[in-house]
Amino acid sequence: MIGIDWKIVLEVIGMLIYATFMGFIFMGIERKAMARIQRRVGPPLYQPILDTLKLLGKKESVSHGLIYDFGPVFALGATITALLFIPIANFQLFSSNADLIVVAYLLEVPMLGIMLGAMSSGNPYSAVGVQRGLLTMVAMQLPYGLALIAIVQHWGSFKLSEIVALQSVHGWSITVPALLLAFIVFDIVFQAMLGLEPFDIITAPAEISMGPMLEYGGKHAALLFTQHAVQLFAETAFFAVLFLGGASNLIELLIKQIAVLFIAIFVASIYPRFTIDQAAKFFWKWPTIIGIIAVLLTV
Amino acid sequence: MSERNDDFITYELQEFKLFEPLFRWARKKSLWIVAFCTGCGGIEMPPLATARYDFERFGIMPNPAPRMGDLFLITGYVTPKTLKRIIITYEMMQDPKYVMIHGSCPINGGVYWDSYNVVKQFDKYLPVDVAIAGCMPRPEAVMDGIMEIMRKIESGKADGWKRYRDNYEWYKKNQDELFGEGWREKEGKRWLAWI
Repeated sequence: MIGIDWKIVLEVIGMLIYATFMGFIFMGIERKAMARIQRRVGPPLYQPILDTLKLLGKKESVSHGLIYDFGPVFALGATITALLFIPIANFQLFSSNADLIVVAYLLEVPMLGIMLGAMSSGNPYSAVGVQRGLLTMVAMQLPYGLALIAIVQHWGSFKLSEIVALQSVHGWSITVPALLLAFIVFDIVFQAMLGLEPFDIITAPAEISMGPMLEYGGKHAALLFTQHAVQLFAETAFFAVLFLGGASNLIELLIKQIAVLFIAIFVASIYPRFTIDQAAKFFWKWPTIIGIIAVLLTV
Repeated sequence: MSERNDDFITYELQEFKLFEPLFRWARKKSLWIVAFCTGCGGIEMPPLATARYDFERFGIMPNPAPRMGDLFLITGYVTPKTLKRIIITYEMMQDPKYVMIHGSCPINGGVYWDSYNVVKQFDKYLPVDVAIAGCMPRPEAVMDGIMEIMRKIESGKADGWKRYRDNYEWYKKNQDELFGEGWREKEGKRWLAWI
């Protein structure tokens, strides 16, 4: 029998608990900061945890079949896998020669999981939300890919841990002019990845209710909330690793993640929502142009 | 409830006595409002949500999805046409769910006391947890009502959803008297064709 390395098992469990908790706190920071910008008091920082508890405590749970149940689980699984590929403060469970590509695409998979579940509910609003979500994903792939190509071409590696090591020797990615452009592109894409304004077309609450999330309630919604928390943690960590030099301990990582998060919150709180055609046009215009310039500068 | 289709599964979940105080606290602190505004009270919601009264500090959030909602605000007079939608939305919400009625009109008809087309007594059709009198109640009164419902949730007295389950026959009889037999299937097919 193969011996189980208990130290790694404990580390993974600890990391998942930490990521989920911090993800919830990040969601709380998001709501609190937006409230303060709008001159409101805002909810306490632990509000998303309360919301999730409440959703878990619902006494009834409506399901539309197996795929509907499977969607959120699939999304959560993909997010957790992506998290374990990211080097978080010297801890990285999985590692391969091309883990940058793996993480970049695993972070897209949760959206597909949610859409799988949403489509099986058959609600027309969900269908519109899914259509918008897929179009946003297609639109943001091009600038997203260009930003990643710029990073890879400059550092000459697909390994995230190697990128972190190179950044600690040669300075952060954003100090390189070409990668600063890539940073701007990635930040615009990041806004759409988090589903914040101006790209919150997927869950546009005033137009199509909650989009894909409309039919979810009770335990399913609690699972989606947890998934969103982990994803928020994973995406901010991925951003910090690629552009802000990674981190050697959790405190440093936390500061960088919060810095990244605040850029997203400030942008989100001052811009209104794009319509879907505007978003696609925008993504294929300015971020793509900047991304191509960044790639050409790194050659 | 009993009127549900076959490809539409409802899990009734066990109550865990041990965690009940924790869940009650969470329920109290995160009431999501189903954004379904009837009558003239809908206009009282923006002041509550914005900087002056800011109900988000109590974790209250307007939520457009009835499946996730907890608190159903009936903000003003209810016509039979609206009542059909209200009942179906209420039944889409998942237990535990709470109803708060605003203003005099849902309580006793208010200024529409002799109207042929206004529902005079709302709690014949759906269970009500808290009623706020006034025409219109000021945002302070609405906040007070919300505080009241939070107190009731904490002490376990906000049991409208339980009463609806237990006395479903009675509520259904009243609803059928108003709309005629079989309205639910007919209208449900039309509005919720995907179910």
